[in-house]
Amino acid sequence: MFTTSLLGAGSAVIGLPAVWIGLLFAVLASTLLALLFAVVCIEFRADQIIAGLAIWLIALGLAPFLATVYYGSVNSGSVSTLGTWTIPGLAAIPYLGTVFRSGPSVYLLLIAVPATWWVLNRTAFGRHIRASGESPRALDTAGVSVRQVRYQGILLSGVLSGIGGASLSLSLGQFVGTGQTMVNGKGFIAIVAYLFGNYNPIGAFGASLLFAGLEAIQLRLQQVPGYAVPDSLIQTIPYVTVIIVLALVGRTRLPEAAGEHYESSED
Amino acid sequence: MVLTSCYDPVEVYIQLFFGAYGNLLSDPFNFSVALTLKETTVLVFTGLSVAVAFRAGMFNIGSQGQLVVGALASALAVAAAIPLFPSGALGSVLLPATGLLVGALGGGAYGAIPGALKAYADANEVITTIMLNFVATLVAFVLVSQFFQAPGQAVQTVELPGYATFQSLLFGAGSDFSIVALAVGGLLVAAIYYLLEQTSAGYDFVTSGLQPEAAEYGGVDAERTVVASMALSGALAGVGGAVWVLMVAGRWQTGVPAFGFDGITVSILAANNPLGVFPAALLFGTLKSGSIAVQLSAGVPKQLVGVLRGLIVLFVAMPEFFRLLGRYVTPAERSARPATDGGRTLEPRRNGSRPVALERTEGDRTEPVGNNGAASGEKSDDRGEASDDRGGAGSDGEGSEEAAERNGGGRS
Repeated sequence: MFTTSLLGAGSAVIGLPAVWIGLLFAVLASTLLALLFAVVCIEFRADQIIAGLAIWLIALGLAPFLATVYYGSVNSGSVSTLGTWTIPGLAAIPYLGTVFRSGPSVYLLLIAVPATWWVLNRTAFGRHIRASGESPRALDTAGVSVRQVRYQGILLSGVLSGIGGASLSLSLGQFVGTGQTMVNGKGFIAIVAYLFGNYNPIGAFGASLLFAGLEAIQLRLQQVPGYAVPDSLIQTIPYVTVIIVLALVGRTRLPEAAGEHYESSED
Repeated sequence: MVLTSCYDPVEVYIQLFFGAYGNLLSDPFNFSVALTLKETTVLVFTGLSVAVAFRAGMFNIGSQGQLVVGALASALAVAAAIPLFPSGALGSVLLPATGLLVGALGGGAYGAIPGALKAYADANEVITTIMLNFVATLVAFVLVSQFFQAPGQAVQTVELPGYATFQSLLFGAGSDFSIVALAVGGLLVAAIYYLLEQTSAGYDFVTSGLQPEAAEYGGVDAERTVVASMALSGALAGVGGAVWVLMVAGRWQTGVPAFGFDGITVSILAANNPLGVFPAALLFGTLKSGSIAVQLSAGVPKQLVGVLRGLIVLFVAMPEFFRLLGRYVTPAERSARPATDGGRTLEPRRNGSRPVALERTEGDRTEPVGNNGAASGEKSDDRGEASDDRGGAGSDGEGSEEAAERNGGGRS
């Protein structure tokens, strides 16, 4: 149900002076776009891929548009960043310690991954979400509103991608709106990460770590002096890896009713 | 913060129209029209590219990458062929033709990659094509900067001499628009329409898109069809790239405009019908060239057109919205209303009125990721409409059946 490419939305409304309000607004903006997607898909039974694409196009145009209206250029002026938080004791651990000297979004991530896993696998709400993807009819029979569960799922997805978009722009302290904007297709890589992680938040975390690692290697390789391979070629590494991974694990088990509409017979 | 200074929408649209067409009465071949038609021409090719793939059940987001590759191949081939035809009439016919052909080959080969990945490794083509877009841009940049760079700082290939590119007939010489290129686009629209509607290969394409299982039982080689349709789609995008090189840029340069992405919106608006691609491309060409005028005269950032584009796609994606709206406006005339055909590939979506999940057959369970927007819903359809969907009659019948269903049930 939730194959959408919403991440492009995230960084839409950054640029307010107070960083945390900026984060809040990013989440709000992205959730609003997710709501639009939900209404279009659930109420009007739009094709989810086309609707997701439309939302992506809207966000892709809206963010630089608003930046132009507000800042006079597709890039925002610089805003303050989230900064880094150091946790005194833990930061002293060798190697692993760097994790505890990082931005707040990293801590949010460390909370979000196990929390999502727990919610999906150990709570009634999580069961409803999964049932809505696997067998909406069963969920309906059990007396739970499929519509409501799907709305909640899509909105949650919007909240999370909003945090993702905000952590991009707020860690740099600027929104970059040129080309494909600073998001640069990360939402699509996220879809691959989730596929690769076989529909499990922990697996998705591992896959994201892999892609982020490749991205970091690619950035590092560019700095090595006298290295013969051109930068642009190195930049293709994450994308090529996504393709290879997808070709290797193409046959993932998809939720049975993913991408399909469901209409309760009692209305 | 934004709403304090609203733009006047009517004013914007008026500016947009005059920006895109100038004064048509006094000079129908003015510069603005040329600008609009220039955009339109390339969009026809990318729109066709997406439409062909879509009709065959593939969602090709990679037209942009295929266009970049086709453009580069075409620019290099024409530059290489120039010594053979130093000048003259023969060169000015053969060189652009070579460019188009090589562009088609380059784009086609690049389009075949996600096709093969889909057919033989089950890799979702939506994601692979998006990734290949990034790869195409980066690799083309490397190739040009390392091997084919023209003297100077900018990363671009050598400029092609005027006679090797499309000539601006009718319109001013500096307009970068050639009626010849638009005519090539028109020919391809007709050719693709003929292919899809009148030939057995096209019938295989469309059937695979509508109902993959039925097509396979009917003896269609599914893997080959997937690769072939993606290669054809890529070839059309590659021709678009060649046209961009030979008509607009005169060389390959970085920052290829996003014609490929716009092609998706063109195709969706055209309901993936080749004949619809032309007017849809004209609309987006108008929006694109008009947006620049709007930015200059009304001060509205041209990115707004990007939002408009997304909204158009969104509204096209939800025919149900208009059906509800229509019911709300004219409740009594509903039964008399002819069934609207929102494009055959989008049509299966209407089957969502049934609890589709229950109707899936065992065979469906091994199917990969919603193997695309168009086909996944269709699979569960048991009306066997693929067999009678060749002409309008098939889909009309289907539509009225649905209308009857709606009227009879009231679904309460």
